[in-house]
Amino acid sequence: MPAPIRLRELIRTIRTARTQAEEREMIQKECAAIRSSFREEDNTYRCRNVAKLLYMHMLGYPAHFGQLECLKLIASQKFTDKRIGYLGAMLLLDERQDVHLLMTNCIKNDLNHSTQYVQGLALCTLGCMGSSEMCRDLAGEVEKLLKTSNSYLRKKAALCAVHVIRKVPELMEMFLPATKNLLSEKNHGVLHTSVVLLTEMCERSPDMLSHFRKLVPQLVRILKNLIMSGYSPEHDVSGISDPFLQVRILRLLRILGKGDDDSSEAMNDILAQVATNTETSKNVGNAILYETVLTIMDIKSESGLRVLAINILGRFLLNNDKNIRYVALTSLLKTVQTDHNAVQRHRSTIVDCLKDLDVSIKRRAMELSFALVNGNNIRGMMKELLYFLDSCDPEFKADCASGIFLAAEKYAPSKRWHIDTIMRVLTTAGSYVRDDSVPNLIQLITNSVEMHAYTVQRLYKALLDDISQQPLVQVASWCIGEYGDLLVSGQCEEEEPIQVTEDEVLDVLEGLLVSNLSTPVTRGYSLTAIMKLSTRFSSVNRIKKVVSIYGSSIDVELQQRAVEYNALFKKYDHMRPALLERMPIMEKTATNGPAEIVQTNGETESTILDTKHLPSITQPASQANDLLDLLGGNDVVPVIQTTVPTKPASAGGELLDLLGDLSLTGGPTPTPAPSVPMSQPPFLLDGLTSQPLFNDIAAGIPPMTAYNKNGLKIEFTFERSNPNPNIAVITIHATNSTEVDMTEFVFQAAVPKTFQLQLLSPSSNVVPALNQGSVTQVIRVLNPQKQQLRMRIKLTYTHKGSPVQDLAEVNNFPPQSWQ
Amino acid sequence: MMHFLLLFSRQGKLRLQKWFLPLPERERKKIVKDMTTMVLARKPRTCNFLHWKDLKIVYKRYASLYFCCGLESQDNELLALEILHRYVELLDKYFGNVCELDIIFNFEKAYFILDEFLMGGEIQETSKQSIAKSVEASDMLQETMEEYMSKPAF
Repeated sequence: MPAPIRLRELIRTIRTARTQAEEREMIQKECAAIRSSFREEDNTYRCRNVAKLLYMHMLGYPAHFGQLECLKLIASQKFTDKRIGYLGAMLLLDERQDVHLLMTNCIKNDLNHSTQYVQGLALCTLGCMGSSEMCRDLAGEVEKLLKTSNSYLRKKAALCAVHVIRKVPELMEMFLPATKNLLSEKNHGVLHTSVVLLTEMCERSPDMLSHFRKLVPQLVRILKNLIMSGYSPEHDVSGISDPFLQVRILRLLRILGKGDDDSSEAMNDILAQVATNTETSKNVGNAILYETVLTIMDIKSESGLRVLAINILGRFLLNNDKNIRYVALTSLLKTVQTDHNAVQRHRSTIVDCLKDLDVSIKRRAMELSFALVNGNNIRGMMKELLYFLDSCDPEFKADCASGIFLAAEKYAPSKRWHIDTIMRVLTTAGSYVRDDSVPNLIQLITNSVEMHAYTVQRLYKALLDDISQQPLVQVASWCIGEYGDLLVSGQCEEEEPIQVTEDEVLDVLEGLLVSNLSTPVTRGYSLTAIMKLSTRFSSVNRIKKVVSIYGSSIDVELQQRAVEYNALFKKYDHMRPALLERMPIMEKTATNGPAEIVQTNGETESTILDTKHLPSITQPASQANDLLDLLGGNDVVPVIQTTVPTKPASAGGELLDLLGDLSLTGGPTPTPAPSVPMSQPPFLLDGLTSQPLFNDIAAGIPPMTAYNKNGLKIEFTFERSNPNPNIAVITIHATNSTEVDMTEFVFQAAVPKTFQLQLLSPSSNVVPALNQGSVTQVIRVLNPQKQQLRMRIKLTYTHKGSPVQDLAEVNNFPPQSWQ
Repeated sequence: MMHFLLLFSRQGKLRLQKWFLPLPERERKKIVKDMTTMVLARKPRTCNFLHWKDLKIVYKRYASLYFCCGLESQDNELLALEILHRYVELLDKYFGNVCELDIIFNFEKAYFILDEFLMGGEIQETSKQSIAKSVEASDMLQETMEEYMSKPAF
């Protein structure tokens, strides 16, 4: 069997491969050779083969079959074997494989080896990839080596101990005695690793932290020596003595000084010294200054020192080196909350960083700029931020736009400025604003009453330029729909009013409907806007035509809207003006949406037409069926719980008059978004149940008691609908004289076939005990044939925990009610 | 602590990978891929720091090799640049005007040197001479073994 080829030979061969396939072939061939060599248990060349395997592993090929071989190498007596074996173990094995535990014994032996370099290998491997089990087994050995006088081993043992503590924190106590005189070492390697070990212990255990606080003077002394000592060739980096150790000591001081007055005071001087004496021309000096600043900011330093720190960061910002500017911005972001005023002083430099070419710096500068915006600098800052929004990469635009909106909302000096700012964002980054900004903006615009004309004019002009940015288009459509009349009448005060005709406006809105750039949501907005203009513009016919065309649109949402608007034109034209009136001022709530409509009459996107209430009809139908069953005689018409008035136009006029008096609770959502609140019955009619409908309360019809049993009393009061004498309006009042409330109260009624009955929603379904209140409900009975009114009623409620149900006939209607 | 140290060429070929955390093979491959993609995409005069997941990534290009390491949030990035530079100096001292080919053909030596400089993601020795002496001594140990066996090791 020829000797396996040497490592360098293999590397050279593989590098000559011209294609991936060629390389793969070579590797496979070599792997096969290696595998057979492993099978032959060849001790001589095992090392060579594993080395080759590691090379192939680095190229990305599988090498797991070499794992056991690594263990064999580690167990060998040859140093070369051990070296490669441990390297292989670190690369190929990890704690997930059970195989790694086999190493434990080898490592234990090697930790006690006579040659320090073998011990070093074992410590290194344990300290890099030792699992918790291994650490537990070998912690004792590590601790022993931590106390040795051999500095080569001591430094490695210290870092190995750090790893053990990270894996098995409970073992921390074990290393405490060994730390006693770690800091009195002269050897920098040991010093450095000791500081790392102390840092790890202090970070993990508050007890250790208080224990080690006494080391602060010693640490300060070591740091001082490093700074004051002359040139030391061994540790010098660009004129600074052992910067690695300096930084580590500063970091440990930070942890020890945090929250502790005495320690912080003990280190004030040295921190000031480091901050002022360190050379800043090279990166290494700045690395130390950076760590110093972080330490000053974290401990309880005196204010002079803090100002010094922030000034260092300010100087960093002016440094040519990008890395240093980046680091400064990151640190300032951390301190801006606590030292706001000090950071404000560097605001102009920070804002300049917005123009930096480096993406990481730009992002940090943007975040910091937003943190620095306040009432005083809002105008200047916003100018810079808007300029940044114009020119920045798309990845920033969304965050920047949101940030601008937030800042504008908090600090806007005037409404006009606020709206101008929003307009600017929408026109420059309109496609990047977040979805929830559209309703927020609409709310803002609605509430700025005096700016309506100006806003709609500007939005209209923006639309003329560009209809591709959906949030802009949506807000603009909404505004035109609401304030189109102001637009056409040229009422703008803030700027030169433009001349625009109704047809031009409608052209624009119709253009949105047909454009490929518009999303379905935007189309919905523009259709609704067109509809709203039917009460503000005179060209109603054109609008009617548009609306009816979309009644057959493929888009279901659009079709539904168009059909309903169409119906509004045809059957419910009397309601159209009220429905499409101006939106009232919306109050802002914590959830960022309007809670109550302060005034009356908002537009409801959910129309009061049949389509919305079909679901609710099924329920009363089943109830009506019950009644029918019981009545036997089938000349009874079931109750229809619809809310569609079947009255002629003039009666509708009266309805609308009265709505002005009603105070309505709850309201529609301000966004004409596709999600229509299905559960909300039109509030127009909610109010009707609590008050008499009509101006002329029919005089003289006496009330009657329809039912009085078991403490439940139901009274009927009558009103006659004046324009239509065939309709009797009965209001039931249910009262409860028992001591317990009646809950889940439902009142149902049925009338003979020649009548039509409409039952409106009750005021509530709890009849309070002891006559403390009443439930009212309105019944409207159409009696065209003027027959004698009879009624069968059914009552269901829960009383004292058990359900109650009762039927009754009401025949004692006063003649005036139906004649 | 440092989580990993990677060396890769301008074409994205891995030349050295040191992991200070136990990660499954699949995870390591993904990190290598992400790092090479991110770092190679960086424009020439940008800063040497990146953010990736919750780690700070520090990278520096030396001739045709990228040195890239992943740090935790409390680590000092500017010092990490010094650490990378120190490693390059150590390699340079050992190989004499080190270039990528040296690291390709002597990758195991690059690892040995690294293992004298860093351990468990932390610096174990800050003196260049001390590290050079240890590596030299270990090499001697290897050679004497070879002489004894009168056969080249590999």
